[in-house]
Amino acid sequence: MKKLILPAVLIMLLASACSPTPQPVEFGADACAHCKMTIVEVPFAAELVSSKGKVFKFDAIECMADYLKDHAETEFAFQLVRDFNQPDDWQDAKTCSYLISDEVPSPMGAYLSAYATEAQAIQMREAKGGQVFDWENLLIYLK
Amino acid sequence: MLHPHIIKTLTATAFLMMAVALQGRVIEVCPECPVSSISEAIELAQPCDTVLVKKGTYSEGNILIGKDLTLFGEGNPILDGGGNSEILTIHSQFFHIEGFTIQNIGTSYTQDRAGIRMKESQNFTIKNNRLLDAFFAIYLEKSKDGVVENNFVLGQAENEAGSGNAIHLWYCENIIVKDNHLAGHRDGIYLEFVDNSRVTGNIAENNLRYGLHFMFSNDNFYHHNTFRNNGAGVAVMYSRRIDMFQNVFEKNWGAASYGLLLKEIHDSRIEQNSFLENTVGIFTETSNRLTYVRNTFAHNGWAMKISGGCQQNVLTQNNFMSNSFDLAVQIAGMDNNYDGNFWSDYSGYDLDRDGVGDVPHRPMKLFSYIVTRTPESIVLMRSLFVDILNFSEKVSPIFTPENVVDHAPKMKQTSGIAQGAETPGPKIDPAAKPGHSLTQNALTIK
Repeated sequence: MKKLILPAVLIMLLASACSPTPQPVEFGADACAHCKMTIVEVPFAAELVSSKGKVFKFDAIECMADYLKDHAETEFAFQLVRDFNQPDDWQDAKTCSYLISDEVPSPMGAYLSAYATEAQAIQMREAKGGQVFDWENLLIYLK
Repeated sequence: MLHPHIIKTLTATAFLMMAVALQGRVIEVCPECPVSSISEAIELAQPCDTVLVKKGTYSEGNILIGKDLTLFGEGNPILDGGGNSEILTIHSQFFHIEGFTIQNIGTSYTQDRAGIRMKESQNFTIKNNRLLDAFFAIYLEKSKDGVVENNFVLGQAENEAGSGNAIHLWYCENIIVKDNHLAGHRDGIYLEFVDNSRVTGNIAENNLRYGLHFMFSNDNFYHHNTFRNNGAGVAVMYSRRIDMFQNVFEKNWGAASYGLLLKEIHDSRIEQNSFLENTVGIFTETSNRLTYVRNTFAHNGWAMKISGGCQQNVLTQNNFMSNSFDLAVQIAGMDNNYDGNFWSDYSGYDLDRDGVGDVPHRPMKLFSYIVTRTPESIVLMRSLFVDILNFSEKVSPIFTPENVVDHAPKMKQTSGIAQGAETPGPKIDPAAKPGHSLTQNALTIK
């Protein structure tokens, strides 16, 4: 039995090293994987985690969209954005709704913010104006 | 019959009165005056009047100004926002503000509060003010033809998310930002969609992110500035025709720090700048048709890192002195020209004594290539193994891009190192804000 412990631990370590997990952004220290700018604005931060576990952080959703366009062949286990109103946690980019509005400037000039539900995006549109997208249409629009 | 002398006097008086009328009246504000608040004075003022604010502290919250006025502070009056308000919001066609201390704006995550905000204005001067503990200090929005001169801005930003920029320009044109001293904010000077503007003589230091930051701004000129010890240096991004002359970029240390970060910049000139003690002097990516002339790179980790998509750039008459790595070119097949520079580690000779080395110099070492690929290999730096590696690559280049070569390396360095802005314009009393964490640091520069 004892002989099995070491291999088991090793396997666990290896497994944990390879399984893709999202990482927190260190604001003010991490640089955007696409535009190289330091990531500072919490509501606009975004993250990709490849299926091999490599993490790419972005300062804006538009940077992540550009990166996805340039790396269409890579598989990503996580595509994460933050809700503009509750930006503390990651949200799945694919299920979020997006607003492009002149009244909500984002770091890289796309005026793009994310919302966990469509209702919240529409509520924001009522206040600020603009256009609401889902993830797929957003990627098409940004192309 | 009036005496001619009296007539003369009368005409002179009449002219004088006309002049006074044209210049407008002066409305005095002081805590004991009939007009004791600035808002009240502005309410009373006619176009072209001067509101003269005397010494005192004025906490009036957000003051909205929609008139063409001169707002003059005498004896350094203090406008205090109490930590929860924007202070001056100005919309005017002619405006001059001078001589105030504006403080305590307070952080907000939903509003971009500013000390002085010029909104859709023109013909304005913002001069000789101090802005302390501001979220955004000076915010110019959709404005043109203005001067921001000789202001002292000191924030106490601790994290980047909770701080704004010292001078923030958004959709502006023809603005001069001159001789300001900016510290303790997110970015020292931030320009987004700003054209035909000039940034000169400023010192930006100890800011959390960039000393100067251009985004989507064309046809600008910045010269004789000093950018020191900012979180990530200076960033010039997504812009065209930005000329950068005689600036000093120094002591920008950190994993994501650069003296100068160039991303998608085209048709620009970078001349006579000094890059001293930075992790990376210049990082450039997807930037075409830039000329780097007579710059000095000394004691940097990397003098220059050239990433992908950089074509038709010319580097000449630059000095590369005592950098750990002079050049790292990440991708082969870019047609940049590296001829005619001085490299302190050039080991060739000049037998015909024409000042140009007789053998070409390859500024990119194999080890530089390896470190770019595998950053951890930096631990091998200065080992015998690395020396052998570099030497063998020098003899027969295999890994390093073949065309990264100086065919005419100079034997002597090019003279003339940029001085930057070493004498800050604002004369500020350091004792004015005791106990401030950044004050000491920001004011040690003479």
